[in-house]
Amino acid sequence: MKKILIAEDEEILRMLISDTLEDGDFSVDEAEDGEEALQLMEKKQYDLVILDYMMPVLTGLDVIRKVRSGMNQNKDVKILMLSAKSQQNEQEEVLNAGADYFMVKPFSPLQLLEKVGEIADEV
Amino acid sequence: MKFNHFIKKSLTRQIIALMGVFTLLFLAGTIILTLLQEHVNSSYYKEREKLVKKEEIVQQIDHDFNLVFFNVRGYFAYNNSELKNQAASLRPGIRKLISEYNRIAATPEDKAFGKEMDEFADFYFIERLPASIEYFEAGRMDEVIKLADSGATARINSFQDETHDYLQNLHKELNDRVQSLIIKQSYIQTGFFLFLVVILVILFRMIRIMFKKIGQPLTQFANAAEEIARGGKAELHVGQERMDELAVLSTAFSKMVRTLQEKEQDLLAQNEELLAQQDELQAQREELEEVLGTMRSNERKLERRNELINGISNSLQKQEVLESIVNNMCYVIEADCGLIVMLQNGESASFGISALGVEQFNNHLASGFIDRLKQTKEGFTVKRQLLQEEKGYHERTVFGYDLYLPIISSNQEVTAVMVFTRFGFPFIQTHMDEYSALSKQIGLSLDKISSYENSEADRKLNQDILNTVKEGMQYVDRDGCILQVNKQLCEMFHCQDGFAGIVGQTWDKWSVLLKKQVVDEDGFTEFIWRAFNGETSSGETFVYKTKDRGHVCQMYCEGLYQNNERVGTVFVHRDITKEFKVDEMKSEFVSTVSHELRTPLASILGFSELLLNRELKPEKQKKYLMTILNEAKRLTSLINDFLDVQRMESGKQTYEKKYIELLPIIEKVIDNQQVQTDVHRIILESFDGNDLILGDSSKIEQVFTNLISNAIKYSPSGGPVYLRLYEENSLLHIEVEDHGLGIPENAAADIFNKFYRVDNSDRRRIGGTGLGLSIVQEIVRAHDGYVSFKSKYGEGSTFIVSIPGVYKPSHGLDENIHQSGTRYEVLVIEDDQSLAELIIQELTENNLHAKHFNTGRDALAYLENHLPDAIVLDIMLDEGLDGWSIMKILKRNEVLSHIPIIISTALDEKEKGLSLGAHDYFIKPYQTGSLSLAILQTLLKVGKAGQILIPENSPGD
Repeated sequence: MKKILIAEDEEILRMLISDTLEDGDFSVDEAEDGEEALQLMEKKQYDLVILDYMMPVLTGLDVIRKVRSGMNQNKDVKILMLSAKSQQNEQEEVLNAGADYFMVKPFSPLQLLEKVGEIADEV
Repeated sequence: MKFNHFIKKSLTRQIIALMGVFTLLFLAGTIILTLLQEHVNSSYYKEREKLVKKEEIVQQIDHDFNLVFFNVRGYFAYNNSELKNQAASLRPGIRKLISEYNRIAATPEDKAFGKEMDEFADFYFIERLPASIEYFEAGRMDEVIKLADSGATARINSFQDETHDYLQNLHKELNDRVQSLIIKQSYIQTGFFLFLVVILVILFRMIRIMFKKIGQPLTQFANAAEEIARGGKAELHVGQERMDELAVLSTAFSKMVRTLQEKEQDLLAQNEELLAQQDELQAQREELEEVLGTMRSNERKLERRNELINGISNSLQKQEVLESIVNNMCYVIEADCGLIVMLQNGESASFGISALGVEQFNNHLASGFIDRLKQTKEGFTVKRQLLQEEKGYHERTVFGYDLYLPIISSNQEVTAVMVFTRFGFPFIQTHMDEYSALSKQIGLSLDKISSYENSEADRKLNQDILNTVKEGMQYVDRDGCILQVNKQLCEMFHCQDGFAGIVGQTWDKWSVLLKKQVVDEDGFTEFIWRAFNGETSSGETFVYKTKDRGHVCQMYCEGLYQNNERVGTVFVHRDITKEFKVDEMKSEFVSTVSHELRTPLASILGFSELLLNRELKPEKQKKYLMTILNEAKRLTSLINDFLDVQRMESGKQTYEKKYIELLPIIEKVIDNQQVQTDVHRIILESFDGNDLILGDSSKIEQVFTNLISNAIKYSPSGGPVYLRLYEENSLLHIEVEDHGLGIPENAAADIFNKFYRVDNSDRRRIGGTGLGLSIVQEIVRAHDGYVSFKSKYGEGSTFIVSIPGVYKPSHGLDENIHQSGTRYEVLVIEDDQSLAELIIQELTENNLHAKHFNTGRDALAYLENHLPDAIVLDIMLDEGLDGWSIMKILKRNEVLSHIPIIISTALDEKEKGLSLGAHDYFIKPYQTGSLSLAILQTLLKVGKAGQILIPENSPGD
């Protein structure tokens, strides 16, 4: 069973993502903001982290930078970034910072599920 | 003799000698007396010791004999041989004591007593005692008694007596010795006393001698010195026979006095000589002073001439220069009064002449003298009788001499004339050359001033033009020195001394002055340096931010060329803060909108997709559908917000105002909002005052929805939200108070701006478009109210909506009007007859009295005698005056300007109408009834309605 962490401040979207992933063979943890996500990563090794870009306390970008700088065991975890902003430069910024995948909001749950499935197979 | 001489030569030695002799005497006397005392004491103790010794021995002998007698008698009595033996054992002791006594016996008496004791011992121990014991042992007691009686006993007794006598003598002798010691001691004490007396006498003598030898001569010296100091003569009487230091001093003193007297004589002689010389010098000095006086007066003249030249060349202020010319010229040429007049514009300055005099002269300028000056271009003098006021107190005729001098410009024109007057003494013809030289000098400087004035006027014009430009501008010459700036630049960079603070500054100074106020100092410096060196491409700009107010400015530069040579650079700074902020806000808005819209959209799309593609349980399906619905609602309200703002911005928002009660609206909003939250309690504090306002209830509802939902959003940890109503200054205030995050101080100024959101990580999770408060403000302002707030960061905020409260008629409009018997009169100016009739009908239906006119002229004529309560005005009228002109006329009239005007027209120029003072603006066609309502509302606002609309029992009647 692959372990997935969802960090998203909008409760409804969090529910949408976790419900989407329900069918697959995943164990899902949820975080309300960047800081909580980091705290969870401190304790557990994940296979995939789904991050929202705009989050309070710590943005998705902050989280990526911290994780990639090796502050916990998830240094090399796969990261999928979700963002409402679709500007090209933002996508680049996120990928440069160390995200592996980028998905624009609003997203299709089925596509997300498919993507997550692919990533899980790779890992 | 030689020693004596040695002593006499020094006072110290004399004193030492005296002290020595005295000490010797004192020591000798003391030693002798002490020795004598010692001797007396020791001889006494010796004698005493001998006597005591003798006494002790004799007493011991006496005691031993007594023991012997006692034991012998005891033997005889008790026949105890022990006692006999004891008696016998004492014999050698006694013998020894006796022989000791004999050894120390000195006097014949002692020796006799010693012999006596020897004899007695022989008698007793050899003669009698053995015999007695023999008899006793033989038992012949009688013989013993006989022996005793035969004188032995008598002998013993007499010996004992003798011994006692001797002891008594010894005592007596001891006493005698003590007595004689006391007497001797007292002699010695007397001796001591006498010795002390003698010593004191000697001491006294010595002091007397010292006084005579030192004190007296010193007093003489002092007196003599004082006498000489006083200038008298003094002689010293210190003994000629003396050889010590005082003698030397006295000789030296006498010599000194003699020398002093000689010197005094010399000085007196010299003094007389000097006095003679001084007289001579005084004469010379007087001579020199005379010469010097002449020189000084010449010098002063030259100085004045210099001053004249300095005065006219140092200043570029024309009036100042003219005055300086007249004053200095009068002095230089020794005139009593003078005047200078510029021919071109009559500017003048004078010295010693009254203002009236100057004016008179100016008025007569055109007369002959001027022509002569213009023609000859040379100065001349005129002799005339002095006027009475010039003469002053002089009675006889006095002549005045006028000197006329032309001032000639560089193009050989007479530009000014000078006139100087001497009272009583003429100008010398030979000085005329000098005068014309001075006038030439003055001409030159006046030329300079006029060209300066021209260029100054040009410069000022340029500067004024530059100052009208909105951009900050600076012109830098090719050396990097600032030659010119405009007002805006000084303001942008806070030049403290205005232009003076920056114009003329070298590159090093101004570039530092400017860059210090810019955030990106290095970028700024780099750009201006490149621009200064012509390295920037045309159209290249640099945007920088200022440090203090955070203004954003855009700078560009252009080179300035003369004959294809770069002579300098113009820097232009444009304040683009507003544009920049709008830009920033717009892009922030776009980003926010994008985020805010995408979030609900993502939910709607996502859940729909799940619903379509998955087999879900009915509950889940329902949950998803609910979510979709809610998110769609959220989207709708967001879009409504955006549209509201857009409407308000374009001024197209309309308000349907009616009498509404605030409390029910607020209660409704509270009910709606309370459902959304579990952690907040929304509390409406009780209010029983008048809550009536004139407003659009849906908009008012929106105001409180926004405020309360903000209060909830910005207190994420929950808590109470208080709503409070109160009346103050005829305004109804509604407070919405939360205990949440509060507003940081730096955000206070922007809080009502559109799209503004307090940027803070805590707040990013709080959704919103940054439009809520701006909508609130817009609505409240449309209700003639205002919104304010107070907040403490971290402790919560209170928003206060203040709207004018109104009172509604308690019985309805009709009754009031009938009761009071008055009806409002409304003037209708409308040229379209059918429309006019419609309006009149509507007004009458609403109990307003309409008075109609087709033209403005007729209406104005009517208004001369009548004062209607309101005017309905059409703009496009057929004849003459149009609506705008009528409005202007009405607003200019003090009485009529207060009448409310409601415009009713097909023209869409609402802003113009309102700015000219219309109370309301209706664009035809409009809803029936709305005109009357507007008129009534207007009357209510201007206070007219108060007299009939306020119920009898309400306050403020």
